[in-house]
Amino acid sequence: MSSEVVINASNIRKLYDGSYALDGIDLEVRQGQITGLIGPNGAGKSTFLQCVLGLIRTEGNLEVLGLDPRKERHKLLKEVCSITDVAVLPKWMTVNQLLQYMNGVHPGFNLEKCISILSRTNIKQTSKIKVLSRGMVVQLHLSIVMAIDAKILVLDEPTLGLDLVYRKDFYSQLIEDYYEGDKTILISTHQVEEIEGVLSDAVFMNQGRIVMKDSIESINKRFLELRPHQSNLDQARSLNPIHERMELGREVMLFEDVDSQKLSELGDVRPPFIADLFMAIMESSQKGGQE
Amino acid sequence: MITVLRTMIFREIQEHKVAFIYAPFFVSIVLCIVIASVYLGGTSIQTEQFNFSTDFFDDEARQAMQQVSSISRIDIVRAGLLVLGFPILLTIGFGLLAYSLSTFADERKDRSLIFWRSLPVSDLTTVLSKVLLVVLVVPLMVIPHIILLQLVAMISASIFFTSNDIVSFDWLWGSYILTDWFRIVFSLWAQALWSLPLFVWLMLAGTYATRPIAGAIIPPVVLIVLERIIFKTNTVLEFIENRVGFWSRADSFPKEYNEIRVVDISDIFLLFSSQAFWIGIFASMVLIACIVYVRSSNSDQTID
Repeated sequence: MSSEVVINASNIRKLYDGSYALDGIDLEVRQGQITGLIGPNGAGKSTFLQCVLGLIRTEGNLEVLGLDPRKERHKLLKEVCSITDVAVLPKWMTVNQLLQYMNGVHPGFNLEKCISILSRTNIKQTSKIKVLSRGMVVQLHLSIVMAIDAKILVLDEPTLGLDLVYRKDFYSQLIEDYYEGDKTILISTHQVEEIEGVLSDAVFMNQGRIVMKDSIESINKRFLELRPHQSNLDQARSLNPIHERMELGREVMLFEDVDSQKLSELGDVRPPFIADLFMAIMESSQKGGQE
Repeated sequence: MITVLRTMIFREIQEHKVAFIYAPFFVSIVLCIVIASVYLGGTSIQTEQFNFSTDFFDDEARQAMQQVSSISRIDIVRAGLLVLGFPILLTIGFGLLAYSLSTFADERKDRSLIFWRSLPVSDLTTVLSKVLLVVLVVPLMVIPHIILLQLVAMISASIFFTSNDIVSFDWLWGSYILTDWFRIVFSLWAQALWSLPLFVWLMLAGTYATRPIAGAIIPPVVLIVLERIIFKTNTVLEFIENRVGFWSRADSFPKEYNEIRVVDISDIFLLFSSQAFWIGIFASMVLIACIVYVRSSNSDQTID
């Protein structure tokens, strides 16, 4: 990888009420990466994203586009867009008033582009935001973000509370409008299965720490999921799977750094889903901890 | 920077159009109707302290008006117009107090703070835009209402006076000084600066307190009571009382007015040379710094 490092975090710690919400996060994100922060509630995903946006103070070193987010937040936000929560757009405004406001305060906002994106939705410019459905508000927010010529897009649970149709729309719009080589996306979501086709990198977090980080390409090479034939079960177990689970009455085993050729002789092999990999890693790390 | 501030101030006006546009407009229209009705003989307003009726203009009053000097004429017309404009000033004053208390509280309540803070606008710029609205823009927004009211009053009065042969058209319009419009603007700007500590205190309460009204009232009350018990003085109370009232009538103002009148421009310079004015400005700056700090620490978001 030769692309520029756009987010450089080292030993980031954040104390909340006596416990660390972030406990020594080291992370490097390069230009063009689409990185998914994956973890359960309380893992520290949102806290980390707030640090990146300069919204909270932390210990450790953090640089985003070469700037200190806390000290140079408003300068940084010219290059970094975010949707950190759904339905936070000012309800009293009309869509048009909001667009005019964005045009006045954001140097990177392209009004024509935003209007063009909005024209593909059912959102009318004359509508007040308070009359829009939750899904439409998210669409509007995304349209605004898409119309900003920013280097980094930070999305924190952007589709929380939306129904399936809007979630699908959101990600297809995201891919369509934002998936350009030089743009970087940092995204946290519980609906991992909906974004894993989009991600270039995954960061697994738990209890304020990074459990694993790697590119999707590397993950797909490192980890393989095997559904062994009943007769090969013992042989498969002898290859030391890192995790085993039952799925529709069949044994499913997860292997790390095992030759795919060897596995395919024992049953059906495929790369694991990110969500399954995360669960497996979490369970095996918990077991490891208990042992 | 100017475009950003202009956009932000415009947004504030859009959000608070009831306080800054509709309410003063409604009051000025009602006042215009009342004034026109009184002069055209439709109604009258008489209370123990206030008499606004055409009955006032009897032979004695007519004679007095005709004999009065040109300087006194100007003072009479100015005082009359000033009194008529009070309801608009009070409406705007209440609007400003309500705005100051709610502007930062509302963005926390509806969580739009999260959106505003995701934009490349510093907290200082946001606070400054709101302070500029209070100090500079809203006083300017009063002027069209005042002008409309004055013109309606002058035209109605001229019709009444000339048709009833009380005084000539020239008596009234010759005493109407157009430059007073500017004097009113400067006077209102001075008033906004004089009362600025109150406005920014209310803004701070909206920024930090869960219940902004309680947050605005309780700390000063505690201070007043403690000061009274410990030092047996009333400095805080007097400070607040003075800042609520007109700057030209404050205890610290070097000139004393006994009658209702529009202040002279030179009075504004007197105000600027007074220590009390600068103490208020300093207190406001400290409070503004507190608002910036508290707002920048308000990460009103869930911790995941």
